[in-house]
Amino acid sequence: MATSVRPDLEEVFRLEYARVVGVAARVLGSRDQAEDVAQEVFLSFGRSRVQAGEAGGWLAVAAAHTALNLIRSGRRRTSREETVAATEHAVVPDVADTVLTREDRSRVRAALATLPRTQAVALVLRHSGLSYAEVATALDLSPGSIGTTVRRAESALRKELNRHASSD
Amino acid sequence: MRHPTEGVLRRLLDEPAGVSDPDRRHVADCAQCLTNLAAARSDAAVVGAALTDTTPAPDVAAGWARLAAATHATAPRPAAAPARRGRAGEWLRRPAAAALAVGVVLAGAGTAAANDWLQIFRTEEVAAVGLRTADLVALPDLTAYGDVVFTGDDGLQQVPDAATAEELSGLDLPEVDALPGGVIGEPEYQVAGELSATFTFSAEKAAQAAAEAGQSLPAPPPGLDGSSVRLDAGPGVAQVWTSSSGIPALVVGRAVAPTAFSSGVQFETLRDYLLSLPGLPGDVADQLRTFTADGSTLPLPVPSDYVTTSTAQVDGEEATVLETRDRALAAVVWVEDGVVTVVAGVLDTDEVLSVARALG
Repeated sequence: MATSVRPDLEEVFRLEYARVVGVAARVLGSRDQAEDVAQEVFLSFGRSRVQAGEAGGWLAVAAAHTALNLIRSGRRRTSREETVAATEHAVVPDVADTVLTREDRSRVRAALATLPRTQAVALVLRHSGLSYAEVATALDLSPGSIGTTVRRAESALRKELNRHASSD
Repeated sequence: MRHPTEGVLRRLLDEPAGVSDPDRRHVADCAQCLTNLAAARSDAAVVGAALTDTTPAPDVAAGWARLAAATHATAPRPAAAPARRGRAGEWLRRPAAAALAVGVVLAGAGTAAANDWLQIFRTEEVAAVGLRTADLVALPDLTAYGDVVFTGDDGLQQVPDAATAEELSGLDLPEVDALPGGVIGEPEYQVAGELSATFTFSAEKAAQAAAEAGQSLPAPPPGLDGSSVRLDAGPGVAQVWTSSSGIPALVVGRAVAPTAFSSGVQFETLRDYLLSLPGLPGDVADQLRTFTADGSTLPLPVPSDYVTTSTAQVDGEEATVLETRDRALAAVVWVEDGVVTVVAGVLDTDEVLSVARALG
């Protein structure tokens, strides 16, 4: 069935696309997959009646959910090309990076999918650069609770890393 | 004073201005809070590093082009049987048909060259090959690589009753036992004749098309120029129940499944060449290659960003089940004795499957 597409789709797309891909890429670690997720999210947005002022938060939350679903359903491709691409792009000028292997990153991403969904989404949005107020609005939570939600998620993920480190 | 919560400590790392002055003063003087703050900082740094987006910035223009193509694409059409198409010829000219034709050619691999038309493929079953909408648009249009000639393209013909439909098509019309909820009234009967599409490869056209696209065409192997593939399908027959809005609420169609014939070239040669043409996504090519195993599985190209696919049993045959992601449309397709049957409509998968399983 043909569905009408909202008229502000292109404007919102051009404004938000990079951030939406970024949110999904943090979860998936692959730009190709993140762009697939972004396309899916904008297709849904195009058919939605989300108010323009709420578009940014809505898109970020939808991207996080869709990317987390992708991990959880085990649909991630592990093609050779993707592995090569991930290796090529894994250049992070960050001190913490020196102690994180690519396996650690994969483990954290896999563990993300096992967190309570609100924690996982809040964490991803926060690390994607949304402010506490923006995360609170997007998830319909009180601003005061975001710090606790993010902290618990980080603590759980750190434990997951330590658990594997000690068992290696 | 009570210690600030772990959430306040966490926010202090990101947005100190969002933390109250008394809390900030407390943390500065409290050894326990400073220890907890250090732990929070360490966890945040490690998790932040793991979640850093290390991928290159996306191409917004390319992203928009892809989305625009997807949103402007026509409504998804999950079923593939000719009976579902308005005009089979129109459908065959669409890029998706190129994938189908390539798939049919692939499925015929292993057949030796022939001087005359030689059957190289007969559909025994169908299986979905998922493509993104963008891939469908990007697939090579075979008319750019040679001449495509259609015969018998008379389109669908409406007939007054089931008996006439059976007589004209030579097919048994499936009897629908019980209509799903919301589907009412009498169906319309439609018949389509046999349709043939013949593709004759032209090295000159192919080179020209590649040059226009700024791409280099792989050199065609000797003997390929002028060789042909013919795809025959139909006749077909369909019963269509229309809803009050004019949308087909339920379509039950049956058609003689596609058969392919070759002339003048080794099929492995043509297959490998078509697979090397620019525009065919690598993973799709790999998927299509797997259809060579038994030479009888018809690849059904479906836009995977619109449609999910699964399999189910219908009458002891493996059927392909398609459903649009918004769950507005569902279809089930299967092949038995060289005849493809499709049940599709504005229904969910359980409904199309129960209609399919109850067909008389």
